[in-house]
Amino acid sequence: MMPEFVLGCIILIIGVIAAGFPRPMTYLGRLISLEIPAFGLLLIMLAYDEMLALLTFIGVTAISTFVLVRAIERKEAAE
Amino acid sequence: MIAIYLVAALAVFAAIRATVEKNTGRKLPYVNVMNFAIAGTIVLLLDHPLALVAAAAYFVGSTLEANAIASTYAGGERRG
Amino acid sequence: MRGVSGVDDLLVLLFAAVALIGAVSAHLQRDRFGKLIAVGIVFGGIAPFIAARGYLDVLIAVSLIVPVTTIIILLICRRDTHDA
Repeated sequence: MMPEFVLGCIILIIGVIAAGFPRPMTYLGRLISLEIPAFGLLLIMLAYDEMLALLTFIGVTAISTFVLVRAIERKEAAE
Repeated sequence: MIAIYLVAALAVFAAIRATVEKNTGRKLPYVNVMNFAIAGTIVLLLDHPLALVAAAAYFVGSTLEANAIASTYAGGERRG
Repeated sequence: MRGVSGVDDLLVLLFAAVALIGAVSAHLQRDRFGKLIAVGIVFGGIAPFIAARGYLDVLIAVSLIVPVTTIIILLICRRDTHDA
């Protein structure tokens, strides 16, 4: 009855599997796979009309991706 | 009325074709085709003046993303 | 889809197919650039759902923030390519 909610749940489950068991077992593969459950959660927030939560979530996802990229960069430079 | 179904079917075809392609350099034109189809869908979906601005924003963002991926994939200058 | 616009079941099915193809492909790809392209396909699948609910201003903001995230990830892809 609510296609956004069903599609969001399916993408969230696929994304959790992809982020939990990434195919190349590296930091970068896991960071890229972390984007997929973010889109699933975006669709679930859209189904409940929570627009302020959606905008805040996308903005914080971008900032946390920047922080994680800096952390991975520093760890690979140390090795 | 048939136009939006045609554009949506084109988006599905381009997504399948970009997925089954092996070479990364050949994937990117199909991703561009899918982005153009999605931008056309956003315009055809609603009769609102802001739909044009939204489609333009999606077009600019997705084209910038695809060009950044292509530039990083092809940028082989080894100055390090 | 709530009768906001002229979206019926066939269009929902087509765009859901685009999003699911992108999500499954992002898991199965082994290349870094293939994964990033698949994430772009996922966003292409869910953008018409945001537009069909009528939240066009939210769609403008999200369409400009999501490519920035991809470009941030590309910074570390370039560094990794030079090392390899």
